[in-house]
Amino acid sequence: MKILEFLTKIPRRIIFLILAIFVIFPLFYPLNLTTKVSVRTLDLFKAIDNLKGEKPVLISIDFDPQSMPELYPMYISILRHCFSKNIPVIVLGLWITGVGIGEEGLKMIASEYNKEYGKDYIFLGWKPGITAVILGLGRSLKETFPTDYYKNPLESLPLALKVETYKDIPFMVSLSAGSPGYGDWIAYAQTRYGVKIGAGVTAVSAADAYPYLQSGQLTGLLSGLKGASEYEYLVEKYGYSKAFKSATQLMDSQSFAHLIIMILVIIGNIGYFFLRRRK
Amino acid sequence: MNISLDIWTWISAILTLFIFSFLYGDNPFYKFAEHIFVGVSVGYTIAITWHNFLYPDLIVPVFKQGNLINLIPAFLGVLYFSVFFKNLSWMIRIPIGFLLGYGSGVAIPAIFQANIIRQIQGSLLTPKILERKDLLIGSIISLFGIISTIIYFFFSREQKGVSKILAKCGIVFLMIGFGASFGFTVMARVSLLLGRLQFLLRDWLGLIK
Amino acid sequence: MQRSLPLGLCFIMGILMILQFFSPHPISQQFFDTIIKWIRIISAFALVLGVRSISLRHIETVKRRKSGYIYSIFTLLALVVTAVLGLVFGIGPKAPIRTIFNNILVPLGATMFSILAFYMASAAYRAFRARTIEATLLLIAAFIVMLGMVPIGNWISPHFPSIAEWLLSVPNMAAKRGILFGVALGVIATSLKIILGIERGWLGGRR
Repeated sequence: MKILEFLTKIPRRIIFLILAIFVIFPLFYPLNLTTKVSVRTLDLFKAIDNLKGEKPVLISIDFDPQSMPELYPMYISILRHCFSKNIPVIVLGLWITGVGIGEEGLKMIASEYNKEYGKDYIFLGWKPGITAVILGLGRSLKETFPTDYYKNPLESLPLALKVETYKDIPFMVSLSAGSPGYGDWIAYAQTRYGVKIGAGVTAVSAADAYPYLQSGQLTGLLSGLKGASEYEYLVEKYGYSKAFKSATQLMDSQSFAHLIIMILVIIGNIGYFFLRRRK
Repeated sequence: MNISLDIWTWISAILTLFIFSFLYGDNPFYKFAEHIFVGVSVGYTIAITWHNFLYPDLIVPVFKQGNLINLIPAFLGVLYFSVFFKNLSWMIRIPIGFLLGYGSGVAIPAIFQANIIRQIQGSLLTPKILERKDLLIGSIISLFGIISTIIYFFFSREQKGVSKILAKCGIVFLMIGFGASFGFTVMARVSLLLGRLQFLLRDWLGLIK
Repeated sequence: MQRSLPLGLCFIMGILMILQFFSPHPISQQFFDTIIKWIRIISAFALVLGVRSISLRHIETVKRRKSGYIYSIFTLLALVVTAVLGLVFGIGPKAPIRTIFNNILVPLGATMFSILAFYMASAAYRAFRARTIEATLLLIAAFIVMLGMVPIGNWISPHFPSIAEWLLSVPNMAAKRGILFGVALGVIATSLKIILGIERGWLGGRR
């Protein structure tokens, strides 16, 4: 009876400790379990991989530091994929506290591939009025962003001269942690201007994206850290990068954390049902 | 062990530990970190708004290019500050009304097309789907699930007979959907924790590669 | 005037934006271009209100020496220092605000949400009971997704990722689409009510 009662009343701090131990242990002793690439990740990867020509991919940083551990590795892998294939990249952000993240990643990966600012990539930064920005890009890039993040006039950037509106952007990716995010890009950029959109989302909102995948409104989806690690795997497998895979490093710990939370729920239920039967 | 010697990495690590200290209980270190976070966020927002928007999109066009038409929306924007004056505070309704009217107007056709028309199209059993055996069963189950979920939320009439059975089926689909969301939520929260542990153990302490 | 002017403006803007969606006429497009430019400018001013309300709250706490006022001093100090550094030295890659962003804002923001993992584990253990058939279904679906999404699930059985994907693509998709229809209809109905002046909550007080 005492054991059963204990099973339903493990102190909170003990649970914290158990979880901490189980997530830290695999970081020191990795099992290197293989992950199965989901069809959704593969769809996004192929959408970028099949791009040819000089037209850029648009990446929207629709997240802030709170979701960085999940979405930043996706951003880095997508940038590596694009730059190694010589696909130009234009980055902007709908979340004001996300612009620093966007700039940091872009600068880092561009220098890794010796890319030139203005010719191979542009960082547009942030503007207020979410829907007005999304709709504005469908009318004129230069009117919506007269200057880039560094206050350079867009006319002075060769890549910007090739892009008038969405018609010059064959594919865009929204790395989204909520609203504004991929939902707004679908509702305003896709319905009106027919932009092809892929999304990388925090796992919290991944299940909600499935109706858009089934209807074909989203081309591919990266779901949380798992999606990021799958993209890292694909970028390496296809020979685009040999860089350290930071999301993949965490997947063993992620596995252990899921297992321990499931075991805790099962233990709680066993205790609860035996106690209820006795009563 | 390859501990970082960068002062800023140490500051990041210490602030990270301040937030983690909340796990033991509310304490001054957590409160300090939390308040710093709010202050820095707002300060950062001010700087980005100025450099990314107000200067290039308002100051330059109006004062350097003489594009005075931009003063009209600027005037509407300034009306937000009318809230600071008791007698004029009603004027804040003007920019709000303008934005709400615009927002509602652009939302209606966009949402209708993206979240209703395209979603209905995706739900239909088209001849293409009927031809494909691999998609057919899933599509039939999906269509049944969508209809029963909608019926579950239909509260305008008492649910009895067939609609009651369908509503019960709707609950089954909803529970699976919520379960999937819960599973993903566990994944998300753990990922965020792992991101910070990776920073502490790799970037700060250099204990892992 | 105090109510009819904003209500009228809201009505005209709403109707014009709906009509504009269906009209490719150059005048309509020009109107659209002007409006979306204006909206961006007006929206920027709304941010000032947010900044003001946060600042005022903390200034008030310090002025009245309310409990924890010392923390409000830190908030105000952090706000002023970050804003001044940003405004004076810019936001480029070598600007001081970048260092503050990377080493203060990023770690604090990211850690704030990461501690939820512990509370979620504890709450799931305490409250997640398979008391009814519905709760059991929810539990099973959660377990399948949790296993199917991580490598260990694939190691236990290579079928887990496929089952999880089916669960997400079929029953989960159906439920989420059902909810999406409801939400979309709700958004459209509310937008219509705002445009037509039936929903007037945004006007605030009676005056």
